[in-house]
Amino acid sequence: MGLKDIIKKSAFVEIIQGMSVTGGYFVGPKVTVEYPKEHVTVWPRYRGLHALLSDPDTGRINCSGCHLCETICPSQCIYIETSEGAVDNRKHIDTFDIDLSRCIFCGFCEEVCPCAAIVMTPVHELATYDKGDFFLTKEKLLANQVNAHKELIKG
Amino acid sequence: MSDFAFLLIKAILWVAVGVGMVPFIIYFERKFAGFFQSRMGPTYAGPWGALQSFGDMAKLLSKEDLTPDWADKPVFRLAPYILFVPGFLAMALVPFGALGKDIFGYQVDLVIADFDAGLIMFLALGSIAVYGIVFAGWASNNHWSLLGGLRQGAQMVSYELSMGLALVGVILMANSLNLSEIVQGQSGNFWNWYFIPQIVAFVIFFVASIAELNRAPFDLAEAEQELVAGHMTEYSGMRWGLFMFGEYVNMVVMSAIIATLFFGGYKAPFTFLEFVPGFIWLLAKIFFLIFMYMWIRWTLPRYRYNQLMDIGWKVFLPLAIANLAVTAIIVSVVQ
Repeated sequence: MGLKDIIKKSAFVEIIQGMSVTGGYFVGPKVTVEYPKEHVTVWPRYRGLHALLSDPDTGRINCSGCHLCETICPSQCIYIETSEGAVDNRKHIDTFDIDLSRCIFCGFCEEVCPCAAIVMTPVHELATYDKGDFFLTKEKLLANQVNAHKELIKG
Repeated sequence: MSDFAFLLIKAILWVAVGVGMVPFIIYFERKFAGFFQSRMGPTYAGPWGALQSFGDMAKLLSKEDLTPDWADKPVFRLAPYILFVPGFLAMALVPFGALGKDIFGYQVDLVIADFDAGLIMFLALGSIAVYGIVFAGWASNNHWSLLGGLRQGAQMVSYELSMGLALVGVILMANSLNLSEIVQGQSGNFWNWYFIPQIVAFVIFFVASIAELNRAPFDLAEAEQELVAGHMTEYSGMRWGLFMFGEYVNMVVMSAIIATLFFGGYKAPFTFLEFVPGFIWLLAKIFFLIFMYMWIRWTLPRYRYNQLMDIGWKVFLPLAIANLAVTAIIVSVVQ
């Protein structure tokens, strides 16, 4: 141990340097987000609760009933029933159910959809007291489209 | 009769202040720990989370009090009390005002025990407090507890030596072991306080007191990463709470002693500020020292065991002896 080291240690140089760093943090801004009171920004590509989009003018559902999302879904949580369309040669969507308790929020359904009908929204506070709330029907999914990103809705 | 009544009032008040301070010191420790890490600390219980400690206390009291089957039961139950009772006793030695002060027409000594061998008493009580940790480590009959107790015992033996020697410098300067007289020796402005002529002794005593209080960076006895919780591993509920409580009581007492020995005790830093009661100055100094303890704890990582021993025996002990020799020569030449 050289003389320089001895002087450095006896004057607590490095300890004082360290304490000035923590002292800076002591007076500096705090990074805590007090969650229930305030929320962090949810990024645009965040994969939250699903929504089915419908045409804002005609009110008709965008889904063409191709079953691609049902096919690609790795946890098989989508269930779709269609019938021959009575109107304008399109299939009619009778049932469109998502079982959220099985969904892994991978976003494949959104990626594979040719009509941009099923999308994922930034809604992420999904805790509930009733397991039944995890079973999303077509009506619930359509109602959730108010939370979808605006550029996804044709207008 | 009135003497005894005053003694009783002083004792109750001083202990009440000490006990009342502890929950808030624990709260401040958690709050400041947050601040030092860019967090907020407790915010929910009460305004700014100030009632957090009381919530913790209620929680600890409602927990099950476990005693391991294989523990040495009487010693196991005794250990937490041995840790904090000496702390309270040492508080009696700290003067919080002048002797023979005139209050409502009575002559009152603002110290509970104006004791001629006060410093020796303090050192003796400090050594007894260690037994609490050693007993807890032994009586738990658990590997980690035993290792923690052993480490604390070894640490204490190494650091009390330099601590005691550092104090001899102050004793020589004040020419007394009585804490009230040591404070009297520091009267005047702040450059008469002993921390300037005795800066070496102050640094040694302060660092050794961190080791004695078992706080980071010298918290080898309860090193979480190695020993679970050291001597407290087998304790639960309020018995564990008593350990925590004792640690913080000892912290208040140690800060009070350092303030008395090196920072003029209840004296104001400037003579023109003496209209402020001495009690407030003493509390301000105690809080400043406690804040320094917290700042150091949340900055420095834990020392390795051999480094701890190296610092104690190879650095502080020779330094303390050198300081003692130099002080003795200077004091004898000046007088």
